[in-house]
Amino acid sequence: MSATLARLYPESLPLCQLPAGESARVQALSGETAFCQRLRELGFGERTFVTKISGRGPFICVVNGCRLALSHDAAACILVEPTGLRK
Amino acid sequence: MSAPSPAPAAPRSAPVYALVGNPNCGKSTLFNALTGLKQKVGNYPGVTVERKVGTAYTQHGQPLTLIDLPGAYSLAARSPDEAVTRDVLLGRRADTPTPDRIICIADATNLERNLYLVHQILDLGRPVILVLNMMDLAAQAGLTVRADHLSRELGIPVIPCEAAHGKGLIELKLALSRPDLPLPRHAWDIPAALAPAVSELQASLSAQDGKAPLVARAEALLLLTDPDPVRVAGSTPLSAATARILESWKQRWSSDGTDCSGTLVAARYDAIGRLARETIVPPATGAHPTAADATLALSDRIDAVATHPVWGWVIFASIMATMFLGIFTLAGIPMGWIESLMGWLGDHVSALLPPGDFHDLVIDGALAGIGGVIIFLPQILILFFFIGLLESTGYMARAAFIMDRVMSRVGLNGKSFIPLLSSYACAIPGIMAARTIEEPKDRLATILVAPFMSCSARLPVYLLLIAALVSSNEVPLGTQVGLMLLMYFLGTAGAFAFAWLFKKTLLRGAPPLMIMELPPYRLPRLRDVAWQMWERGAVFVKRAGTVILALSIVLWFLANFPKPPAVAEGEPPVDALAHSFAGRAGHAIEPLIAPLGFDWRIGIGLIQSFAAREVFNSSMGVIFAVEESDDEAATQAHLRDALRTAVRPDGTPLFTPLVCLSLMVFYVFAMQCISTIAVVKRETAGWKWPLFQLAYMTGTAWLACFILYQVGRALGF
Repeated sequence: MSATLARLYPESLPLCQLPAGESARVQALSGETAFCQRLRELGFGERTFVTKISGRGPFICVVNGCRLALSHDAAACILVEPTGLRK
Repeated sequence: MSAPSPAPAAPRSAPVYALVGNPNCGKSTLFNALTGLKQKVGNYPGVTVERKVGTAYTQHGQPLTLIDLPGAYSLAARSPDEAVTRDVLLGRRADTPTPDRIICIADATNLERNLYLVHQILDLGRPVILVLNMMDLAAQAGLTVRADHLSRELGIPVIPCEAAHGKGLIELKLALSRPDLPLPRHAWDIPAALAPAVSELQASLSAQDGKAPLVARAEALLLLTDPDPVRVAGSTPLSAATARILESWKQRWSSDGTDCSGTLVAARYDAIGRLARETIVPPATGAHPTAADATLALSDRIDAVATHPVWGWVIFASIMATMFLGIFTLAGIPMGWIESLMGWLGDHVSALLPPGDFHDLVIDGALAGIGGVIIFLPQILILFFFIGLLESTGYMARAAFIMDRVMSRVGLNGKSFIPLLSSYACAIPGIMAARTIEEPKDRLATILVAPFMSCSARLPVYLLLIAALVSSNEVPLGTQVGLMLLMYFLGTAGAFAFAWLFKKTLLRGAPPLMIMELPPYRLPRLRDVAWQMWERGAVFVKRAGTVILALSIVLWFLANFPKPPAVAEGEPPVDALAHSFAGRAGHAIEPLIAPLGFDWRIGIGLIQSFAAREVFNSSMGVIFAVEESDDEAATQAHLRDALRTAVRPDGTPLFTPLVCLSLMVFYVFAMQCISTIAVVKRETAGWKWPLFQLAYMTGTAWLACFILYQVGRALGF
């Protein structure tokens, strides 16, 4: 996670650090352009709500009703703002 | 279904339809339902993406050609599969006709995500039929999908469907019958910041690259979101003028900080989000449109166990154990049948042909060669039965998920797991399964190490050598299992070590960022599983009948010509073989393999193993003049005894335990399979990588055996 992004979004943390069972909102994506684009194309773009189902990497997340598995490094590219427990 | 302008009537000859959709949306099921047995499976030339073309009929009996394109999430391709889908739709492939019409299939339970690809395809300016699949699951989840609304909004036919139960097929075939399919009434606003670039690229694409105006617009949009376009063989490159324009825009944006890809995707998702909200009526109580899905809730409960850090491994290990047990035990029965069938065939053909070279060519060259490969058909079918079962239930994605942590240690990701697993049966399907790996470097690394996995052709060699190695006639079970496991372990360890090494050096790249959809668990569809087994089996048999047949004949020739001089009549066959090209080659390589403990006779076996590794056993039979017996077990026992009594010229035994062990280790590491080399050549589109693989694997084998034999000798074994 780049320092600039961390300064821009002080409330946020990378998705890999979000505790299992919690929901969050995607703030920003970092990393390779092609990877960010694929995340957005899968509906995992900025402002999306995401719920992390399982904890230790790789992670399972729910985005828009769809289960996506992300490796630890992939989840580290996604900056989220926690919105509290799942439903 | 009003349209702004009707499309020109479909051409008289069978129109070409393309079938496109996300992975896991039921596309193959629909394709099979529409085309039945009228399918042709092949490859796109130069790439290893499977090309499936079938003939379907409209409700009025008109034939049409249906191309099943590989599943894709977006036209901005991330894998060779997706690149083929993109190139066919954009008319970039000379080997495939540009489809006249497109059938898009979308999963109704996950409409928003699926609509992204549909949205890109609507831009192409060709008639589109949208099939909303899995309507039953959507209804179970309490979703009301207003297909008619979507149809009005997009101006195209939208057909609710349950492909797995054959529902909606008649409506789809009626739509296929329509001569006047409307063009999509599709309008979305290209973000203002990007509009000038899009129009400039569009103009250049239609002027310089000869694209139709609407296709040019779609391609212009795509070029902006294809940051590092996956180019595959057979795809027409951009004209220089267009490439220059694209480059200059990209430079301008990178200097002023415009994220053109992000802006475009976001603009599309805004339009899609609006469409989806109007189309899908969520359950009255549910807060979120798809969160209440009952299937998904069940899937989550299964996943809580199946992807659990402990139970996940237990389940995974039991499934793998069952699969291997199936491959190595169950397959024995049909393998016996094939053996007796080939024997019967050999006897009959043998009786028909007059004795002579032609007789020997047919029996010992062609029939024996094909038989040696076809014998593995049952194992391959069982492997694909399990793979099909795991795929259609949705477990396969979980297996990759579980393996990701292990794979990432050596720089690969979970998707390399299936190819490596399949390679335990045979490296050929394993290497073919590497197609789904997105990152080209990971794909190549997987292909390069896959043949280290001990395939079933090595099994007979291991068994013979273990039998020759122990002095008693009954091999103690512990020794046999222990040595066997050791060989499998050595191969696996080699594969991982080299994958790690390649990812650190030759194929250095960022650690792969895995993102993978976990489809909901479903009951397996046995019809689709059987279909896949049939397809794979057919590909395998076809290869046995072409490439392998030709190679067997060549190897037979090398082992039989030139003939020994006439004076040698009545001499034992070993001299005839010694005189042949294969024998001379054995002698020629003897200095090279002597430090490993092998003599020229073993050398012949090593060379002949290139046809298939288990040929080693039959070459040893020929060289040591073992009498063939009708009883397979007796032949094996004779062969074992012959190996035990074989001596070097100085009278010392040839097959000492150390030599047997060294030979086994050689078989673990060496690349000795022409069929695999041929497949790798095709998969990597060139000779560079297969030759590299041949060199590095055989070099590793040599080095390992050298160390083993020399250290063993020094220690007095």
